[in-house]
Amino acid sequence: MQPAEKTAAEPVRSSPSPGRRSGRRWDATDLSLVAVFAALIAALAILPGIPVGPLGVPITLQTLGVMLAGIVLGPARGTAAVLLYLVAGLIGLPVFSGFSGGFGVLAGPSAGYLVAFPLAALVAGLLAVVVLRRQRFRAPLLFLACLAASLVTIHPLGIAGLVVNAGLPLRDAVIVDAAYLPGDVFKNILAAVIAVSVHRAFPRLLAGRAPRD
Amino acid sequence: MRGFGSTMGLYEPGRGFLYRTPLPVKAAASLGCAGIVLAWRSPFVTAVALVLTVGALVVGARLSPVRILRMLLPAAPVLVVLALYQGWLQGWTVAFGVSGGIVACLLAARALTLTTPTQDILDGVARLARPFRVVGAQPERFALALSVMLRSIPYLAGLFVDVREAAKARGLERNPRVAVTPLVIGAVAYAHRTGEALTARGLGDHDDGDDEEDPAPAPGM
Repeated sequence: MQPAEKTAAEPVRSSPSPGRRSGRRWDATDLSLVAVFAALIAALAILPGIPVGPLGVPITLQTLGVMLAGIVLGPARGTAAVLLYLVAGLIGLPVFSGFSGGFGVLAGPSAGYLVAFPLAALVAGLLAVVVLRRQRFRAPLLFLACLAASLVTIHPLGIAGLVVNAGLPLRDAVIVDAAYLPGDVFKNILAAVIAVSVHRAFPRLLAGRAPRD
Repeated sequence: MRGFGSTMGLYEPGRGFLYRTPLPVKAAASLGCAGIVLAWRSPFVTAVALVLTVGALVVGARLSPVRILRMLLPAAPVLVVLALYQGWLQGWTVAFGVSGGIVACLLAARALTLTTPTQDILDGVARLARPFRVVGAQPERFALALSVMLRSIPYLAGLFVDVREAAKARGLERNPRVAVTPLVIGAVAYAHRTGEALTARGLGDHDDGDDEEDPAPAPGM
């Protein structure tokens, strides 16, 4: 129990206590925003999907929650929320969709998608900070940010997961993954529209901190 | 909370040796099961893992085989599709090796959450995170975030249902923007209220709350 001594001997990552240069430290509100967004992802993953369009095909909203965490909370808190959600699922709390939770999901076919989620929130959050510096065209630009994030992270890692865990040949894995693309585009539009409303309702959530650096 | 816990497959009081096994042993066994199945993927290893996990649940938690099957129900669609696909393309032994292994991992994880009180699991995770203090992590805040998260899920699920009912009443249940936006705004508002409540109790601020470095509560929203 000598954390002070150890942190002093470990200047490499400069544990958050001494430095304030890497932005503001998290207060209780930041902590509960992270926790509540982790819960939001869990709720969206567990609850039955919403029927969409004339055919009423239900879509599950797990990735919507991941993108929202990134573009509503920003890169740091958004990634933390997704990581918290993953940790909760991995220690066995049943918060993953279908697959209820536990280390077993790492053996399942959807493992690649889960691993990609924090990266997706990080990329979407970084892009969102740039987008939210301006007032105009926020929704389309946020949509592009989400789309870029999911194309760069979720789809490649998801395909890798299908190849490694489900034993699909690469070509089949790409085809299986492509089936998620239309729903993905739709969810990214939805995330962008919702995020614009949320930032209008809570202007200091992210935009208030962006111009400071 | 209570009803929510039982539908989610969290802790249920009961008897059997699994309830008396210490948490680290159960966690190591569950993790070991996943690792071994992932590393080998042979039908024989899968069969052994299945027998062990089902046996542990039947003997160690006194569950009936029907209950065990019912626990697997949510994962069943994905597993059946995966098994059929692989059985068709790569033969049924491979299919058994992969999907049986996933079932064994799911059951092993469930055996842990079913027989350990949720608070004990949270404490265990905080204890596991303690070595990361060296790199600046704060296990107590991590455990606090986990338990705030668990508490928020039932609230958000209820909010989700309310918002959808309201959208339905306006004939807009097919419009996901109307169905989800109030949920997210409600979640942010709920997080702000929770943050204020934590600050008021001196929880969740920087150094585990026992430093007098930052006595003034953050100015609300």
